Amino acid sequence: MTQQAPPTALTPEVQAMIGVSGDIVESWGVVDGEYMRRFTQALMDPDPRYWDDDFAKSTRYGELIAPPIMVSYLASRIRPDMDDPITAAFEENPESDGIGSVARPGELPPVPTNLVRVLNAGNEIEVYAYPSIGDTIFFQNSYSDIRERLGRDGTPFLIITRETRYWNQDDVTLCITRASTIRR
Amino acid sequence: MTTMLDDLLNMEPEEIWRRNERPDADGLRDKGQIYYEDVNEGDELPKYIYKPTPTHLFRWSAAIENFHRIHYDLDFGLNHDRNPSILVHGSWKQSVVPQYLKDWTLPNGWPWKARFEHRAMLVPGDILIMWGRVTSKYEKSQMGFIELEIGMKTQDGIESMPGTATVVLPLKDGPPIPYPFVPPAD
Repeated sequence: MTQQAPPTALTPEVQAMIGVSGDIVESWGVVDGEYMRRFTQALMDPDPRYWDDDFAKSTRYGELIAPPIMVSYLASRIRPDMDDPITAAFEENPESDGIGSVARPGELPPVPTNLVRVLNAGNEIEVYAYPSIGDTIFFQNSYSDIRERLGRDGTPFLIITRETRYWNQDDVTLCITRASTIRR
Repeated sequence: MTTMLDDLLNMEPEEIWRRNERPDADGLRDKGQIYYEDVNEGDELPKYIYKPTPTHLFRWSAAIENFHRIHYDLDFGLNHDRNPSILVHGSWKQSVVPQYLKDWTLPNGWPWKARFEHRAMLVPGDILIMWGRVTSKYEKSQMGFIELEIGMKTQDGIESMPGTATVVLPLKDGPPIPYPFVPPAD
């Protein structure tokens, strides 16, 4: 008796999502010292390059710098000129988990698969330049890779990688992040 | 000289905490450059030790505007998501990584890239050890590339964030690392 191969999860519709990009989003506000103070204190990084103007001028950067990964959080701030999705999520469902139903700008269209279980498969960060105080941050998400793998029982699953590039008003790439999720 | 990871993992939690090598502001201000030639395969990086509390988690949630209740609402975490407690954020762990690489490569090296996975649920009360170890090194385009194994272990030796990283150190007689950083062509 021949064993039938399981149907592929990497359908043409799924493959077509590779390279799909979201809107370019201009973040609300700019890189500012107060946001950075809160971020670096919560991170527990006391580096004077973030707050000591005189010392920062003596470094190779010549000015205060900001942690590159900070822009990934700064960029997802909820704009005050849009409907507040946090308020909406809890008005709709007081038991909201506070994240699943909260829409953020620049999201990608969903991958058309009936695999619904989502697991974190890993993260990457590439750093190219430090943000400066006053920088305006832009970002764009894209599906950089979708691969199929077979589980131990032979059932196919997907590894979906979402790439996000962050850059400033001078089109200098600050960092690139990639988040991979397993869809089973 | 850093305490070796294997030695730390044989210590009691409070002794691990006393071996914390996270630099303060002056340590970062005055740090001397590590050059490519100074580094050998098998070298270990300083160990950053953390003792997260609910207040640390709340502070991080507020700083990055992460409203996920599993990080600050104990009742929700226990009874809705069936977690053992409120959970340390993956976003905090992954933000420690570039900080850790920056600190080691300061003042003129470059913390180029890292990749890692999130495993294990970390909770207040855990002692966390951010660690790194040199796995290989090579020169390219007059820059010194250092490959690292990195991670964040609990006091029980559970690896919560296995990963790798590539950082760039200047050569003793080499040119400055370009800024913004431009990786060499393959």
